[in-house]
Amino acid sequence: MADARNSGLQAPLWRAIAIYRLAALAYAAFLVVSNVSEYVRPVLAWPVLAVMAAWTIFTTYAYADPARRRMPLLVADQLITMGALTASIWVVGRSGLEAGLPTLAVAWHVAPVICCAVAGGRRGGIAAALAMGATDLVVRAHYDQAAFTGAVLMLLAAIAVGNLVRFAEVAQQRLERAIELEATTRERERLARDIHDSVLQVLALVKRRGAGLDGEAGELARLAGEQEAALRTLVAGRQPADPIGDDLDLMALLQTYASADVTVSGPAGAVRLPARTAKELNAAVAAALDNVVRHCDPGTKVYLFVEDEPAEVVVTVRDDGCGIEPDRLAQAEAQGRLGVVQSIRGRVTDLGGRVRIVSAPGEGTEVEMTVPRAPIS
Amino acid sequence: MSAIRVMVVDDHPMWREGVSRDLTAAGYDVVATSGEGRQAVRIAAAARPDVVVLDLQLPDVSGVEVINGLRAELPGVRILMLSASGEQQDVLDAMKAGATGYLLKSAGQAEFLDAVSRTAAGDTVFTPGLAGLVLGEFRRLAVAPAAGARDETPKLTERETEVLRLVAKGLSYRQIAERLVLSHRTVQNHVQNTLGKLQLHNRVELTRYALQNGLAPLGEDPAP
Repeated sequence: MADARNSGLQAPLWRAIAIYRLAALAYAAFLVVSNVSEYVRPVLAWPVLAVMAAWTIFTTYAYADPARRRMPLLVADQLITMGALTASIWVVGRSGLEAGLPTLAVAWHVAPVICCAVAGGRRGGIAAALAMGATDLVVRAHYDQAAFTGAVLMLLAAIAVGNLVRFAEVAQQRLERAIELEATTRERERLARDIHDSVLQVLALVKRRGAGLDGEAGELARLAGEQEAALRTLVAGRQPADPIGDDLDLMALLQTYASADVTVSGPAGAVRLPARTAKELNAAVAAALDNVVRHCDPGTKVYLFVEDEPAEVVVTVRDDGCGIEPDRLAQAEAQGRLGVVQSIRGRVTDLGGRVRIVSAPGEGTEVEMTVPRAPIS
Repeated sequence: MSAIRVMVVDDHPMWREGVSRDLTAAGYDVVATSGEGRQAVRIAAAARPDVVVLDLQLPDVSGVEVINGLRAELPGVRILMLSASGEQQDVLDAMKAGATGYLLKSAGQAEFLDAVSRTAAGDTVFTPGLAGLVLGEFRRLAVAPAAGARDETPKLTERETEVLRLVAKGLSYRQIAERLVLSHRTVQNHVQNTLGKLQLHNRVELTRYALQNGLAPLGEDPAP
């Protein structure tokens, strides 16, 4: 809150009050000059006016410093202004005031109320307006509608300014948060670049140097390699869910599977497919990868290959794992025991495509999914 | 036989040293190292390496620019490109510009040394990822509206396509040779041809562009 108060949006308000105070002083001085002949003690009007002028100049400088916009100055402002108002009783005289002559501090007495509203919000403004309004009414000693209207106007002005300040503070905070967020984003991008240039390189180096070693060193190298792949995917920050119109980029979806054990290859550009087709293919690939994890030894390499043909898209998931006997595969499938394979086949057939599974013991398994492109509209 | 001269270009000093040490231990002569592309081109002119191990991402200039610079200074130089991550379009552009091999930085030490020796021997080093990129590029060229006559668009033979698909699926040359009943050498030649076609097409395109825009082809005197 203090930050919002010291910066940006409040400074113009304080300047506006200073200008108002100066204008009000000029107006009050003009009224004094034109009415001085009717005063009870006209000589005393000039020292009061001088004090008001001095106070106007002092507050202009005093309120310019955010550190001084606190209780002592606000209370002093209020008291001095009340003093100038009250002096009217002796200078102008009771009868003059009752006859409708303005007070010495007319209009000028609103300035400290607005100051309280700006510094203390709605509550500060209301308190100051009530105190100043009561003083004004007591000094003028007549309680008709016109007198009350002045006090009510001052109260409404204080409430309005108090609200305005609160909104300005909220706006200021939002702005600051937005700036902060932007800075954080920029910082994150810079970090991603740095990680790319340093940490990734070191991890790759550790993996490379330890790759041939046995035991713990080899294990450390393998871990470094895994982390390198994971970190690379993280900082690459490709948005897989970004739709291109109603289409999705299949390459972006599948790229997220890239790791130390999974290689993803395909064309350099986007492979656009209708969102449903892309998502179903993605799910089929996930099932195929899951199958490898379930049935093959850890460390089995998987190759994900995407071909973008004019009429169809071919996705191949090949592993270099243990593989299955061809007749066993057919047998299991016939008996409905190949849950994962069936899930792949089901998804691809629903898209009007076909699945080809090739496997041999020791040769790994190759799942080739071919899906027709939807007719280009 | 004198040792093969290698130059290592990478902006990461630790990596540069590690790779240089491995290469020296394996009997190569590391004649120069550099952390910047422009400096690398200048040094290469004097150090005359046979093989340049080049990081795709350098702080000052793009991989394509470094490759063009190196090939202008040393026309016969072999360039093995490394990258830490799969900046696919950059990798493809660099290969088209004339790199002779590509390897991921996460490759193991043995794989790396094998790649350097194959590069030095004049072979093309492909990763499954690169095979996918090259296949994708040929398909893109086949459907893209041709700038000139249709028959100028490079095409792969059926065999070449078959071989590249198997490379993309992660099979080694030995496995591909067994599966297609070919010799290891023939598989290697098919892979090399696909890259050659792409690089030739790239040069033709660049020359056409230069002529259309009134520029002289690179490395040739302007017509009188």
